[in-house]
Amino acid sequence: MFARLLSGVVLGVEARLIEIQCDVSGGLPTFNIVGLPEKEVSESRERIRSAIKNSKFNFPAGRITANLAPADLKKEGVGFDLPIAVAILKATGQIAETQKRYLLLGELALNGEVRGVRGVLPIALETADQIDGLIVPRANALEAAIAADKPVYPVETLAEAQRFLNHEIEIPPVFIDRETLKSTEQKAVRHNLTEVRGQLQAKRALEIAAAGGHNLLMIGPPGSGKSLLARCLPDLLPPLSFEEALEVTRIYSTAGLLEAGAPLVWQRPYRAPHHTISYAGMVGGGHGIPGPGEISLAHHGVLFLDELPEFDRRVLETLRQPLEDRSILISRAGISVRYPSAFTLVAAMNPCPCGFLGDPIQPCTCSLHDVRRYKKRLSGPFLDRMDLCVEVPRVSADDLFGSCVAEASELVLKRVSVAREVQWERMQGVADCHCNAQLDGKRLDTHCVLGDDAKQLLRRAVDRFGLSARAHARIRRVARTIADLENLPEIRAQHIAEAVQLRTTGDAVPDF
Amino acid sequence: MSMNGDESEDKACHFLKQEGYRIVARNWRTQSGEVDIIARDKDVLVFVEVKARTGAGFGGPEAAVDDAKQRRLISAALAFLEKTQCDLPTRFDVVTIRPNEVHLYQDAFHVPD
Repeated sequence: MFARLLSGVVLGVEARLIEIQCDVSGGLPTFNIVGLPEKEVSESRERIRSAIKNSKFNFPAGRITANLAPADLKKEGVGFDLPIAVAILKATGQIAETQKRYLLLGELALNGEVRGVRGVLPIALETADQIDGLIVPRANALEAAIAADKPVYPVETLAEAQRFLNHEIEIPPVFIDRETLKSTEQKAVRHNLTEVRGQLQAKRALEIAAAGGHNLLMIGPPGSGKSLLARCLPDLLPPLSFEEALEVTRIYSTAGLLEAGAPLVWQRPYRAPHHTISYAGMVGGGHGIPGPGEISLAHHGVLFLDELPEFDRRVLETLRQPLEDRSILISRAGISVRYPSAFTLVAAMNPCPCGFLGDPIQPCTCSLHDVRRYKKRLSGPFLDRMDLCVEVPRVSADDLFGSCVAEASELVLKRVSVAREVQWERMQGVADCHCNAQLDGKRLDTHCVLGDDAKQLLRRAVDRFGLSARAHARIRRVARTIADLENLPEIRAQHIAEAVQLRTTGDAVPDF
Repeated sequence: MSMNGDESEDKACHFLKQEGYRIVARNWRTQSGEVDIIARDKDVLVFVEVKARTGAGFGGPEAAVDDAKQRRLISAALAFLEKTQCDLPTRFDVVTIRPNEVHLYQDAFHVPD
């Protein structure tokens, strides 16, 4: 009495097809699951046994062996409950053999209900061409339908799955229209630039960061609006394309963070982890198959680190490589997974421990030693990755009570969209490079052509401020974006001037 | 009225026959343990443990089949299968006997890992 069927497993944002083989034979009553199951898979035996009995099916006596092939791949998650239960019913003749290659996924409750699982989208995406249809929990049906062009049959109980496979009932496959999906999406409450009083320079820096994908460091006293500014950034970025949305959704599906009724993440992610975050929480990890960290959850969006110097220095250093590669490879014994991590980093910090260094009204109470130690928590190589650095000073009374209405995010977004399009066209055919922030070395020379006066100005700036080669490259990148915002093919002197200004401002900025 | 072991096992056998079981052996002993009743329920070989209690004290008869008892039953069952070269699927049932109630627990426990 042998049966086989198909299921799948997620490995990061990738997925693999798994064949489930089940054999029921004579001998003492045992139930074993083999094929490198993690603990939650082994535990599924109790759920499967109860679900089968409580669904009024016959749980076979004797020896039951379920094998998850390929046997050398670690299996994690609770999605194997339903397929193993169906395989047992098949092996005992309670479900008829079918020619169709269905992929099954789902967690079982003790009463036979089928519960939603993580990672349905990646599994559906990567196995669609090898199967004839999917049988998934109702909670995951929309998610599966987005990804697969194969029919998706939602089930709510084990008994329903059994009747469907025995052709006793019909289940209408779930179909999803991508366009309606986009229009019905719930917009989360986000912030608009009109809510931020004053801070014109910071807003300008935000616009440039959005246009060129540059990382931004904001320095200022408490209460000056740094966090609010950062929260505005996702909405200054052009909306996600369908492919980008799918990439983001893969990560959220793997992490089990998809909200019910919103099977696709259309909005730019905004992640603001607390500064006590661990290394694994930031870049990804955890037991078994490593899960995505904040940097991957912020993929195609914004990662905001408030109180930057309070973060564990080792955690910040681990960001360096994913910032360059725009992805992270997490390797563990027996498994390594790659998560994408193309995010825009926005960081905020106070100029000193008390927060008021350089403030015109409140005196700073920190000693020189304190200030130095505070700044030392950030390494040079890390700060090197921040293209923009801007001071966010105390908001003046004039700004607070003034009637001057700030420019709305929607207007800024228009300019940003133009600049992004210009970059996109210019970088057609350049591998792995879509925005100015990614320009370096040779590409910098080909794409950041300077006008004569711009060249002279930059030369003077390098001499005057003693700029390093890296700082010089950063200024050119940012100047390129400023020119793109005006849709000018050539970088002019005023662009260089603004870029220089946005790199260092005043004494409050750490020396780098 | 209290019952001794034989009486309660008679009662259990009678009950199992009513349920359609065919008795294969009674009080099957090995060094490691004893099975009260071995029976056939259609295609399944069933090892039955009989537990009788006269009062409600000590948690009733169900509570008496603890881990140690299960282990002894399992090793006795294994010995039986080896000796008889039987390869039927098997099951462990427990029959509880109270003065005016007989209850059959089918598939009462499994062989742990």
